[in-house]
Amino acid sequence: MPSLTIDGKAVDVPVGTTIINAAEKIGIEIPRYCYHKHLSVAGNCRMCLVEVEKFPKLQTACSTVVTDGMVVRTDTEKVRKAVTGVLEFLLINHPIDCPICDQAGECELQNYYMKFGLHKSRFALEDKVRKKKVQDIGGQIVLDAERCILCSRCVRFLEEVTGTRELQFFRRGDHSEISVFPGRPLNNNYTGNLADICPVGALTSKDFRFKCRVWFLKAFPSVCTGCARGCNVEAFFKGDILYRYKPRVNEAVNRAWMCDFGRLEYKKANNARLLVPFVREDGREKMMSWGGLLPQVAYRLKDAVEREGPDAAAVIASPQSSNEELYLVRRIASDLLGTKNLAFTSRVPGDGFSDGFLIRGDKNPNSRGAQLLRIPGGPAFDELVVKIAAGKVRALLLFGDVLGDLTQEETAGLLSMVPFVAQAGTNEGPVSAVATAVLPIASVAERGGTFTNHAGRVQRFHAGFPPRGKAKDTIGFLTSLANRLGAGWAFDGEASVFRALAATEGPFAGMSYESIGSLGQEAKG
Amino acid sequence: MNPALFDLVVAVARIAVMLAFCLTLVVVFTWVERKGAAYIQDRRGPNRAAIFGIRAWGLFHPMADALKFLFKEDFIPDRAHRLFYQIAPMFALAPVIMTIAVIPFGPDVTLFGRRIALQIADLNVGILYIFAVSGMTVYGVVLAGWSSGSKYPLLGGLRSSAQMLSYEVSMGLSLMGIFMVFQSVRLSQIVAAQGGLLFGVLPKWGVFVQPLGFVLFLVAQYAEANRTPFDLPEGESELVAGYHTEYGSFKFSMFMMAEYFHMVVGAAILSTLFFGGWQFPYLGDTGFLFPGGAGFALPPALVFLLRIGSFVGKVVFFAWLYVWVRWTIPRFRYDQVMRLGWKMMLPLSLANLFATGLILLLPGR
Amino acid sequence: MTIGIRKVARPREMTFPESLYLVEIVKGLGVTMGHMLRNIVRQEGIMTMEYPEVRRRMPPRFRGRHRLMRRPDGSPRCVACYCCATACPAKCITIVAGESPDPAVEKYPVRFDIDMLRCVFCGLCVEACPCDAIRMDTGWFTPPDDSREKLIFTIDVLLEK
Repeated sequence: MPSLTIDGKAVDVPVGTTIINAAEKIGIEIPRYCYHKHLSVAGNCRMCLVEVEKFPKLQTACSTVVTDGMVVRTDTEKVRKAVTGVLEFLLINHPIDCPICDQAGECELQNYYMKFGLHKSRFALEDKVRKKKVQDIGGQIVLDAERCILCSRCVRFLEEVTGTRELQFFRRGDHSEISVFPGRPLNNNYTGNLADICPVGALTSKDFRFKCRVWFLKAFPSVCTGCARGCNVEAFFKGDILYRYKPRVNEAVNRAWMCDFGRLEYKKANNARLLVPFVREDGREKMMSWGGLLPQVAYRLKDAVEREGPDAAAVIASPQSSNEELYLVRRIASDLLGTKNLAFTSRVPGDGFSDGFLIRGDKNPNSRGAQLLRIPGGPAFDELVVKIAAGKVRALLLFGDVLGDLTQEETAGLLSMVPFVAQAGTNEGPVSAVATAVLPIASVAERGGTFTNHAGRVQRFHAGFPPRGKAKDTIGFLTSLANRLGAGWAFDGEASVFRALAATEGPFAGMSYESIGSLGQEAKG
Repeated sequence: MNPALFDLVVAVARIAVMLAFCLTLVVVFTWVERKGAAYIQDRRGPNRAAIFGIRAWGLFHPMADALKFLFKEDFIPDRAHRLFYQIAPMFALAPVIMTIAVIPFGPDVTLFGRRIALQIADLNVGILYIFAVSGMTVYGVVLAGWSSGSKYPLLGGLRSSAQMLSYEVSMGLSLMGIFMVFQSVRLSQIVAAQGGLLFGVLPKWGVFVQPLGFVLFLVAQYAEANRTPFDLPEGESELVAGYHTEYGSFKFSMFMMAEYFHMVVGAAILSTLFFGGWQFPYLGDTGFLFPGGAGFALPPALVFLLRIGSFVGKVVFFAWLYVWVRWTIPRFRYDQVMRLGWKMMLPLSLANLFATGLILLLPGR
Repeated sequence: MTIGIRKVARPREMTFPESLYLVEIVKGLGVTMGHMLRNIVRQEGIMTMEYPEVRRRMPPRFRGRHRLMRRPDGSPRCVACYCCATACPAKCITIVAGESPDPAVEKYPVRFDIDMLRCVFCGLCVEACPCDAIRMDTGWFTPPDDSREKLIFTIDVLLEK
């Protein structure tokens, strides 16, 4: 293992490590534009110049492999002058249209200018090379060629990650610009990542365009609910509105990427939400309070069990629920209601599109968790549907906004066979259109918990802000429902439920929120 | 003409004339007060109310005020004593209006062969009636203060009752000299007695025979009318608006009218007792007769008009004096008011009484 | 430099005639009457400004109600960068940005509301504006109005002046 000193600090790194990564290891950040950890090294931006002893010239930290006994300095006047000069070159043709640029606030040009530049422009505005702005190049991306500093991160991403190679450099000298080939727009499911990796405002998101200034946004770690991959995301919000998802680095799951579908998942937490509990009487919706509705739901479930036996009640769990919630749902169904009618399905309306990279065919974040928690899926769900259609179920507690892959008409027809359908869901949908009682629960951004992804990796998601409207945290709702059914639970928050879950459920044995951490932990089995 | 009917017509006419005169002055003086204050303070004063674009120096403001008061919500506070709260403004206004009954506003005239006194009622107790009736106004103030069920009005009401009672004493005593000099409490006789000359040069007005009495009476009157510098009952710096804090709409305007009526009536009494009432200096029944023998005759009608005009002029001047003083002198402190009333006014009026008596009893008169 | 000594009049004992007040009051009445007569005859002494008709000229740096500037072609100069909204300590500026049909403009404010009831007239929005699009040089206050809604100035109102 070579050992070297960077700015006087000694560090041991594996063979083949570059200076930039060695420095990162000891907390020294070397400025960079073209270097990206998950892409190949290009070394074209020249921002990462450092002084290495016995080298006559400054070296690029991103491409220089460390050797034993190397002495690197990143803080000398020479380095500073070089970086400042590079920055000034990069800014020569930059339009400095920060006021209208969505990148402003998280732009590396801005950051490094404040750190290394702070110079007056020596280049007159009218002499700058003008390039085409506001180009819709397909996917989720808007291209502004003027702002581009030609770092080639995007080109490398499309070459190395998606392999689609839509973007390329054109022309020469200071007229060089990045663009797509005529008639060949971006055509892959990972275009959103281009906006993330672009260090400047050249590639920005179409969806997020002009929606909000980034400095108004706060972020919290979450997990994408779009499919069973469970990409780690950073969710950005202002007030009680989510504005965007950005991938959070997790080498074991999504590296630094996420798909374009997942990026739009945040909208579910904003739009068409169920916000007030209501009951449907004679086709009319009547607003209720939680205090008024919960006892009613408990009573109807208990009543069905007491009058016609435990199998007159049924519970349909949702793979959109967290492990903690599914655990409680199973206990309510098995222990408190004593019914065998408990099932879930991973099927959703639409095609189960998948690719070999991130997108999974299963569009639910926690099907695996439901399986591990011994909630019957697949055939059991079909059997339950047959039972319901036969009119054998008198009271149904249903989680989620859709009923498998049933259409709206099929859902309405099926649920009309049950005298009492209580739905605990987040969004308006085919179920909330016909359910007898609708209990609005917190969205993924408003509650915390864990999902188990397709590979059995248990990952935490966090509550960013309190539930909107009268929506209620699911754990709290399930606990009070169970207590109405005579359970005497004292769960307070998802952490307490997970402790109970880890203590009793084999696959989760020995796990805790601490051991899961921010990157997740594999479940056994 | 039926004598009884004639008497009735005359009585009604006198009441109507006097009331109209005083009410007009009241209305005009609300304007004079605001405009005068403004000009004294280098401001412009009310000038916005306009009819058809005519602003008339803000003369329409009293009308606008009256309309506003009429149309405002007649509000009774929750804590107020409903009956007394509503009676109080009447108690404040009615007695002041009643005092005009005994004020002679002109010499006797002969109409259809009958002598008619230009005075609503020529009571033989004259000035005592005024004292008796105007003493009632304190009930209005105290009732208003108490029945509002609020602390500022209560404090204002208590202050004003103390103040009015204190100054009533000196006011009564300061007039004793006048009665002693003119040997009557009947106002018509007092006015008539002031027609003569003093030392052959000065009109024999109360102010010349009783200068100290005049000053004391003037001061006591201001205190009685709750006007600056004695407007402690509504000292806004400490009591919001004093006894009428809780009043609004027309009830409030009744208090305002009472205040200005007080001014007008006070001015009338002052001119009657100390400035010869309707007497015009050196003007006899037939014409002017100046000291030294010079003079000229005037037609009776002109003499009559001059005398009425003289009365009106004096009243207007003294009413204006109220305004003038208000915007000149700052408000007294409460203890100063009491000290002035009991330690200065009362001894001085007693001394005045004593001196007057002494002079009257001097041998050789 | 010597610091001068200025005699300040101290309250002194009143003489007997003064303590009687009578003469002093008459003197005071003279002063007030003098003012009144002077003001009736000549109006120059009157300090009142007849507000809506006559308006005080504000000093050039007076921070008055805001206005939004226009480009030569009449479109608002504002590019909805949110700098003013960010700088605003009273959080009274609400901007909604939109895509302009003109690619040279790109971003423009669909909504630009200033809640004048919240505004503290600190002028930080003017300082923050990179485009000189918002100014407070109208030299005038927020005129009063009879509803809260009317005092939320929209972009049209702000562009008027």
